[in-house]
Amino acid sequence: MHLLKKEMQILKMKINFTKDQNIFRQEVRSWLVDNVPKKSLPSLDTKEGFEQHRQWEKTLNSGNWSMVTWPKEYGGRGLDLIQWLIFEEEYYRAEAPTRVNQNGVFLLGPTLMEFGTHEQKSKFLNAMATGDHIWSQGWSEPGAGSDMAAIRTTAVLEGDNYRINGQKTWSSRAAYADWTFGLFRTDLDSERHRGLSFILVPLDLPGVTVRPIPQLDGEPGFAEIYFDDVIVPVENLLGGDGEGWKIAMATAGFERGLMLRSPARFQQTAAKLLNLYIENEEHCSPMMQSKIVEAWAQSESYALSIYHTASKMLAGGSIGSESSLGKIFWSELDHMMHQTALKILGASAELSNSSEHDAAQWIKGFMFSYGGPIYAGTNEIQKNIIAERLLGLPK
Amino acid sequence: MNFNFTEEQIQFKDVVKSLLADECTPSSIRDGWSAKKSFNQSRWNKISELGVLSSNLSEEDGGLGMDQVALSLMVEEMGYAGLPEPVAEQTFLVNDLMPLFTVGMKDEIKSIHESGNQYIALAHPLSPNPLFLDHAAALLLFDESTYQFILKEDLNFKPLASNDPSRELSAIDSIKKSISSSKNFETLNSAVTARGSLMTAALLIGLAQKMLDLSSAYVLDRNQFGKPIGSFQAIKHMLADIAVEIEFAKPTVYRAAHSLLDKNPKSNLHCSHAKYMSARAAELACKNSIQAHGAMGYTWEMDLHIYMRKAWSLMACWGNEDKQQDIIYKTLTASRDELGVLYTF
Repeated sequence: MHLLKKEMQILKMKINFTKDQNIFRQEVRSWLVDNVPKKSLPSLDTKEGFEQHRQWEKTLNSGNWSMVTWPKEYGGRGLDLIQWLIFEEEYYRAEAPTRVNQNGVFLLGPTLMEFGTHEQKSKFLNAMATGDHIWSQGWSEPGAGSDMAAIRTTAVLEGDNYRINGQKTWSSRAAYADWTFGLFRTDLDSERHRGLSFILVPLDLPGVTVRPIPQLDGEPGFAEIYFDDVIVPVENLLGGDGEGWKIAMATAGFERGLMLRSPARFQQTAAKLLNLYIENEEHCSPMMQSKIVEAWAQSESYALSIYHTASKMLAGGSIGSESSLGKIFWSELDHMMHQTALKILGASAELSNSSEHDAAQWIKGFMFSYGGPIYAGTNEIQKNIIAERLLGLPK
Repeated sequence: MNFNFTEEQIQFKDVVKSLLADECTPSSIRDGWSAKKSFNQSRWNKISELGVLSSNLSEEDGGLGMDQVALSLMVEEMGYAGLPEPVAEQTFLVNDLMPLFTVGMKDEIKSIHESGNQYIALAHPLSPNPLFLDHAAALLLFDESTYQFILKEDLNFKPLASNDPSRELSAIDSIKKSISSSKNFETLNSAVTARGSLMTAALLIGLAQKMLDLSSAYVLDRNQFGKPIGSFQAIKHMLADIAVEIEFAKPTVYRAAHSLLDKNPKSNLHCSHAKYMSARAAELACKNSIQAHGAMGYTWEMDLHIYMRKAWSLMACWGNEDKQQDIIYKTLTASRDELGVLYTF
């Protein structure tokens, strides 16, 4: 008698889209065909481009596409993660504009959903969905980069307000954004990750000074924010006073995990890279083929892994330190693909204005890909997290 | 869309895992090495009693009718344990292909299964030296255009040494008598090639995980400069790199298994993808694990090399990274329009 036999009850794994999922895909696709701007928008890190991207957020919202996984009452559609992945696939396929509010919709949004009060959710999620509030991130400080627990910017409770003093830096999108969220030290006697609070701050308040920082591409994608006696009402505290670290870790998990970098983005790059190689094959050595295969194989693996994770989450699982594995994988993959593209381009790889083979686009993407292993927690920090929390190695 | 396992599949995997944890220890593997008898009949029988060997035969052929997804999970555990017996080979390369063989061969294979000795060895240009012929009742031999079924008594063969002592290989000298066919050859050959890639991929995932676990335990235990070397970032990062590679190779194996089950027209590409990713993960696991073990990793005494040797062999046969890369490249360029975000599933 076979021991396994009596437990035979196989509900098969099914990795095909259902009819309803395909209908949803068609719905997304046809809306995007009708609405994605024919001509690509100016860079979102210019004043003009930022406003056009804000306008695009409004257009998305008019079709109810701001964030399909959010509940309907906050401007979403209440859909599941698989539908979100389908939406993302169509979004990248349509080459729709970059989400200027990704700090909001992908990072703060899920955090608010988990930790926000009803009032906070109604106020912030709706304004986020409509593009009225574009968010920047306020984590790092000059003395607190990888060591985020070294934060020194203070928020002192005075009656119904916090008084904020200090400086944030590398604040993505802050040059033109409306709000920032981040960690502030509310207990002045505290050390490290204790005594920090998660506070939402409008950037147009008296005492706030934003100094844009030009990035590698010359555009101000991030900024320094100075706080000089800035008064913020206590309603802007997310979660409890002193619980900031816990909440920030949840946000960082979203960023590294499923939300920030959906696989479609990298699959689209891998497909473009193959086409670029085929157009230029005669100028390249066959060595490049192995890089093309690596690009396809890894972007495909990333997609499979995300669908695998999403399926597990739908079955009640959760994502924790595993998100660090993904962050390393996609950021290294993205850099490798852009490096390969530049090699294929040969001497045109320095022509930053050339439209031939989209050289300028590849160069811009190449520079941006150097950021991946740094932002959202450097890959070295991610490796520490993997070693300590997944492999059980000592601090 | 449900890219997840059933509870039953996880249970099967766990049953196999716990059996092998008891039966397939490093010392039992070393015993096999010293006796030059790595095929342990009693272990084989225990696995057989569990139903694993015939798990994917149809119920009318006396099996459990289990699918390739469940099987690939169990094979991963065989890799993890460094199992010497060719259970994965038997299930994936012989049993799973049963429906494709000629009626005559099927009858021969069935009668061997019914006689009690279930092992039929296999040789193919991608893995030309069959495993454990001494223990086999027969050999299935693929060449460039035909396949043959040969009873062991009709074979002359001599032993070949493998760098992995638990892989007892043979070279075929001559064949007295065989049933030969070229019927369905293309289909059968492509099916066996795909399964060879997938099977070695699943084994390599298990082996890579084993090497990572051994290394994590070692670096916790080993002290230098007054603390465990696992507290140093240089060591942490080497091991984290292995974890990343394993994490992203795994789903390619499960997808490939599902593609075979689903008769997906791209299943060959998916099996190549699985082998490509798993071989790379295992290669890094070997390199970084031995480094994390320091000089101890370079000794015969340390158990690490039991698994490392098997990984080296499995990376090489059934299409190494270079061959898989070639297959993937040709498939991609032949179907450029079907590449990218919409063609994963």
